[in-house]
Amino acid sequence: MTTRFLSDGALKQFVQALMAKGPVIGPVARKSRFVFAALEAPEDLRLDYDTTILPPKKLFFPTKQDLVKFDSPSSFSGCVEPKEQVLLGVHPHDIKGIDMSDKFYAANIPDSNYLAHRAKTTIIGSNVQKHYKHAFFGSVCRELKPQGHDMFLTRLKGGYLVEVRSKKGEELLALGKFEPASREQAAEAEAVNAAAEKNCPEKLNDTSDSVREKVRASFGSDIWNELSRDCFSCGSCNIVCPTCFCFDVQDEWNLDGVSGVRSRCWDACLVSEFSEVSVQGGSENFREERAERYRHRFMRKAVYLNDALGGPACVGCGRCSGACTADIANPTVAINTIMER
Amino acid sequence: MTCSCEKQTNGRNIFLPTLAEIVSAQMITATEKHFTLRMKDGAKFDFEPGQIVEAGVFGYGEIPLGLASSPTVKDSFELVVRVVGKVSSALAALGAGDTMTIRGPLGHGFPVSEFKGRDVLIVAGGIGLCPTRSMIRYILDRRDDFGKFTLFFGARTPKDMLFTDDLTDWRCSTCMDYHETVDRPDDRWMGNVGVITTLFKKTKDINPQTRVIICGPPVMYKFVVKELDALGIPRSNVFVDLERRMKCGVGKCGHCQINNKTVCMDGPVFRFSEIQDLEEAI
Repeated sequence: MTTRFLSDGALKQFVQALMAKGPVIGPVARKSRFVFAALEAPEDLRLDYDTTILPPKKLFFPTKQDLVKFDSPSSFSGCVEPKEQVLLGVHPHDIKGIDMSDKFYAANIPDSNYLAHRAKTTIIGSNVQKHYKHAFFGSVCRELKPQGHDMFLTRLKGGYLVEVRSKKGEELLALGKFEPASREQAAEAEAVNAAAEKNCPEKLNDTSDSVREKVRASFGSDIWNELSRDCFSCGSCNIVCPTCFCFDVQDEWNLDGVSGVRSRCWDACLVSEFSEVSVQGGSENFREERAERYRHRFMRKAVYLNDALGGPACVGCGRCSGACTADIANPTVAINTIMER
Repeated sequence: MTCSCEKQTNGRNIFLPTLAEIVSAQMITATEKHFTLRMKDGAKFDFEPGQIVEAGVFGYGEIPLGLASSPTVKDSFELVVRVVGKVSSALAALGAGDTMTIRGPLGHGFPVSEFKGRDVLIVAGGIGLCPTRSMIRYILDRRDDFGKFTLFFGARTPKDMLFTDDLTDWRCSTCMDYHETVDRPDDRWMGNVGVITTLFKKTKDINPQTRVIICGPPVMYKFVVKELDALGIPRSNVFVDLERRMKCGVGKCGHCQINNKTVCMDGPVFRFSEIQDLEEAI
């Protein structure tokens, strides 16, 4: 693996070079929070961010994505046109979220719409310089390392240690003034990243494997009623989650009333309509109770996706804890409570 | 019909449907329309009994429907649409010569090989006759491949009975043991009245090795299974056909997920013993 050093001044020039080639999406400040947005100037980049409101999944799985355009009932075409983009400054746990998403969309019948966007995206990760108050990534399956990225930056004094993680990342070296990195710098970066994991403000008390088995065994427990008692079924936890992939599909007409587009948009399993089905002329809901919906989300993260994709789907970003109106979504509170029973 | 990205990723846009031409269409009850279709490009449409398609009209959307004909019929396939919402109303507005969009066949149908050489019992309630008709017609077309064939059909009222031409044939067929019932009779109804489980008293020789298919309203399943238990039929030989509002049909959108299974990929046909403990299944 190639390792380099990039000084603060050289980073600015590198970002400028990336921007000259195409859109660069990175963490930028919006009032008191941060979002992933296209950089307008290298100075917009805030690698000292704690977390972003939405995870980077929106870059390959947009909130609304056109799937098929139609001109008439019998004339239509597929319409995904992904563009080259660089996603810069993704925290390691968010990269794990992207890994999970990549596996999910590539499994069984591959979703070419997602994969096309993903294939065109270059990902440059960066270390956590400041912790989000609800982050607990340090206690979530530490043995599972982030995979799907091309380069990783770790903040050191006066610049960044740069680790090249793919062939695409190797090619990026031509765009900046990368200096040789010393063994001491590499060791320092390793210590910085280990400390970030260790110093998370919140934590799960148990391993992912034991969490999976205990959560699975608690399916019929009353604890779900208890934990979800104040749930508004708003779906905020779904929307901010890096590994919530569910969507709805809807058609819309253009003003001519003939042509239009079929698109998908994010959906949320915590919302009661999500699990409705027309049966025999009536309507049934197979997760009618909020406790059932709350449980389904935790089951999906800790058990179902874990079984299917080989790792917990929760990456410990803590966004759901912050987004929850009723303050009941915090996985460390919920999981640690389940584990203690 | 492919865009540049599809060539680059070497993958087909899984949301891109194909066009099917409506050969014939007729209302068969006050709310159900029966369509016979063929692929517009003349392509063969092959499927397993029990599989589903996403049928749609651009501008309205798509809904999952069980195939209502047997794959032994090669030049066309059949669907039944019950008018309940926006998409089903748009589909029901179509007539012969119009086109609808089709994606599929999707999911897993009835495991035909497990039924071959065995006695078969199909218990269909209401619109549950549509997806099971793919298997009923398959058995009748390949009659020698199966043992004794019993069919129970229940409808709310005589007016709700689907496929009345088929029912007329089946009533006097020597190829099958057909029994029917309605919950609420009208003045002209001469047959059985009561829930579908009352039909178990009408036939004596259902052997414990019988392979069973159940499809109907959710409330029906537990009562039918109780009867099957009493007959000594193992639950691993019982298959159920589940309905969900599948949006993508390819295991991604999450709408049809029950516990760790997706109805569109793992089903819609499930072995009862595999889902009986899944709280969200029925």
